[in-house]
Amino acid sequence: MSASLIGRRLSPLLACIGLLCIWQAAALVLKTDSFPTALEAIRAIPSILGDHEALLNILDSLRRMVIGLVLAALVSIPLGLMMGRSRAIASFFNPLLMVVYPVPKAALMPVIMLWLGVGDVSKTLVIFLGVSIPIIYHSFQGAKAVEEKMLWSGAAMGLSAPQRMFRIVLPAALPEILTGCRTGLVLALITMVTSEMIARQNGAGNILFNALDMAQYETVFAMIIIIGAMGIVLDAAFEKLRARLVRWSEPDVDIPVSFS
Amino acid sequence: MSVVPLRPGVQTEPSSGHAQPVAMIEIDHVSQMFETSGRRSHLALSDISLTIEDGAFVSILGPSGCGKSTLLYIVGGFVTPTAGRAKVKGRAITGPGPDRGPVFQEFALFPWKNVLGNVMYGLRQQGVKRGEAEAQSRRLIEMVGLKGYESFYPKELSGGMKQRVAIARTLAYHPEVLLMDEPFGALDAHTRTRLQNDLLNIWERDRKTVLFVTHSVDEAVFLSDKVVVMTRSPGRIKQIVDIDLPRPRRRADLLLDPHYQKYVVDIEKLIDDVLEDELHP
Ligand SMILES: Nc1ncnc2c1ncn2[C@@H]1O[C@H](COP(=O)(O)OP(=O)(O)OP(=O)(O)O)[C@@H](O)[C@H]1O
Ligand SMILES: [Mg+2]
Repeated sequence: MSASLIGRRLSPLLACIGLLCIWQAAALVLKTDSFPTALEAIRAIPSILGDHEALLNILDSLRRMVIGLVLAALVSIPLGLMMGRSRAIASFFNPLLMVVYPVPKAALMPVIMLWLGVGDVSKTLVIFLGVSIPIIYHSFQGAKAVEEKMLWSGAAMGLSAPQRMFRIVLPAALPEILTGCRTGLVLALITMVTSEMIARQNGAGNILFNALDMAQYETVFAMIIIIGAMGIVLDAAFEKLRARLVRWSEPDVDIPVSFS
Repeated sequence: MSVVPLRPGVQTEPSSGHAQPVAMIEIDHVSQMFETSGRRSHLALSDISLTIEDGAFVSILGPSGCGKSTLLYIVGGFVTPTAGRAKVKGRAITGPGPDRGPVFQEFALFPWKNVLGNVMYGLRQQGVKRGEAEAQSRRLIEMVGLKGYESFYPKELSGGMKQRVAIARTLAYHPEVLLMDEPFGALDAHTRTRLQNDLLNIWERDRKTVLFVTHSVDEAVFLSDKVVVMTRSPGRIKQIVDIDLPRPRRRADLLLDPHYQKYVVDIEKLIDDVLEDELHP
């Protein structure tokens, strides 16, 4: 392993340690109850993860997040690709998306709860809405950028229009689609926590905000670390998958942990 | 052993024996207008008529922007002309089909497929079994001089290598008509000569019809039965020169042949005229 590779592997870790050090110092200087030191927060993590109930709550959150994300990908990728290849479809959906785009999806949560209750369905729907737009947008851009001659080559080989969509547009746009999914993954995490903040029933966000209500600040910050770590791990895992799927495309700058 | 075996499914129609020339491609008063960004229209091709006989090798020469690629796209069925029509084997061209195989100036390889995957693509599409398609594709890859590169992805290839993959990918599915847009443009002189010979061999054996765009007068005369010289703005046919040189042709012999030299000089002059006319209309 070369020195530069070790450096690249190590630097995200060093960044995390640096951040924790600053936190520790700041907390020691400020000395308020509502801002525990990093060490105190870290010490509270095992008790959360050791608690069966809490663990189930976190897994529930993850499950909703994954389902919301997968459903969004299943709808958004085909929609984005079709918009990218058909001007009519694009000009039909574009205004609709422009209206939906600036609305914070979690702000819809109270209304959705009125219709669908406080259960999984509402929360999953909000995650679905939260991640759809970047996936649609990136799929759209990816499909639009597909080189015309590539489609012509396919047509000359006898591929029908749906076959060209599936076997040329989809793979050609895949790097762009996966970039959208990566953004979507981070957004899913954010929306997940926010939805649980509003529909306080269970989940990682619920643990966090209950602890906040009860002034258990170590638990609050421990949850923030846990959610942050979930983000890093999920992003890194997705990046591994993405890199494997689009090895054929232009080499990207390889950043081990990044924030989209 | 033949590199590209004839597909059993392809049969020549009884009427298209070689006794009398049969029109493979008919381009009939074709014009092509493009809307440009300034809402102005640009006449790329103006009233082109050209008949290409079955099994003929026809080259198109002309200055950049005279509509050579556009003409090829029309025959390929990728572009519908704004006026006139084109036919293949007597039927109006309404779209692309595996009977006409394009080799694009921009290669247009599938970047997510490696060299073997690209070359096999058309064969697999036509239902050839994987093993058979792979064997045929490997032979073609060897023919274009890319043995050992089967598992390379397009981004890992040089321009000339991409061009050779593009040629192999189109030859692989045995189109009756080859539409080649400057297919040897990015190659070094030696590879170019080798592939010219290979193309001639395939053409002589399979009696394909070839429509070949090039900027090299030399190459056009060496390969073709007919050389079409075009003018620009609008794209028109200036002259069609029949190349009456015996076949099979060998480059080494031709270079010393005064007939060959005369063709080259005459066509060079024609192209000079075209450019001269543009400067002093
Ligand atoms: N899609 C398009 N929209 C507008 N104009 C076009 C389009 N395609 C081609 N043209 C115009 O048509 C003319 C002919 O283009 P074409 O690509 O056929 O030229 P060419 O003879 O192949 O040139 P080259 O030798 O440089 O490849 C050019 O003037 C070009 O600007
Ligand atoms: Mg061209």
